[in-house]
Amino acid sequence: MAIRVIVRLNPARPKAGEEFRLQAVAQHPNHPGTTRDAQGNLIPANYINLVEVLFEGEKVAEARPGPSTSANPLYGFKFRAERPGTFTVRLRDLSGDTGEGTTRLELA
Amino acid sequence: MNRRAFLRSTGVALGALALAGLPVRAQALEGEDLANLEKALQEALGKGFRDLTPSNLVRLTMPSIAESGANVPAEVEVELPSAQVKAIHLFADKNPTPRLASFMPMKALPAYATRVRLAETSAVRAVVETADGRLLLASASTRVTVGGCG
Repeated sequence: MAIRVIVRLNPARPKAGEEFRLQAVAQHPNHPGTTRDAQGNLIPANYINLVEVLFEGEKVAEARPGPSTSANPLYGFKFRAERPGTFTVRLRDLSGDTGEGTTRLELA
Repeated sequence: MNRRAFLRSTGVALGALALAGLPVRAQALEGEDLANLEKALQEALGKGFRDLTPSNLVRLTMPSIAESGANVPAEVEVELPSAQVKAIHLFADKNPTPRLASFMPMKALPAYATRVRLAETSAVRAVVETADGRLLLASASTRVTVGGCG
């Protein structure tokens, strides 16, 4: 099942040359492999271990989170606004599931 | 051993202990676990804690108290041009897997924010790998009421 990702910019319409924040929130339990379910069985590790940010198809940043990331994680990046374009955030977890979220950068 | 000799020898021993212990205490962060951190540093970077230089250029923002260790906001910012920052790593001393995340700012500004799990009250480290091979360090400490790893 694809991972749901929401991507947003803050400020939503930055001026050219201005710094802005890109935040991605994913819907994922991020099991670290140390927690137990109600029956006391260990839940196997399954967390997002690759986050790629692409701008107009070109990779502009990469994060490799470890097992100790919270459930429904947030990833925050900072960029400088140069030209309008589309940001894509791609995620992959240990089981091979992927998710993708996009947002459009428009300059004010 | 008579009473006088006993008092003298224990007094000397306690004094030595206090002297040895104090300077370490004075700079230690709450929830520090260098042995655990050292292992993770070697694994991730091939370098140890001694190779890190504390730096004011790295700003690590952590809450001082987190009610739940399952969701603790962490933020790092580096006051260096993007081109000089190769990677930013986050570590928590007391976690079963101390490495929290690594971030490679390619065309992004050298800043990263995320939410992490902390197993217990722990020191948190931001280690910045620069392009010229230096390792910069910033530390913070978060007190955790309920652990987030089990």
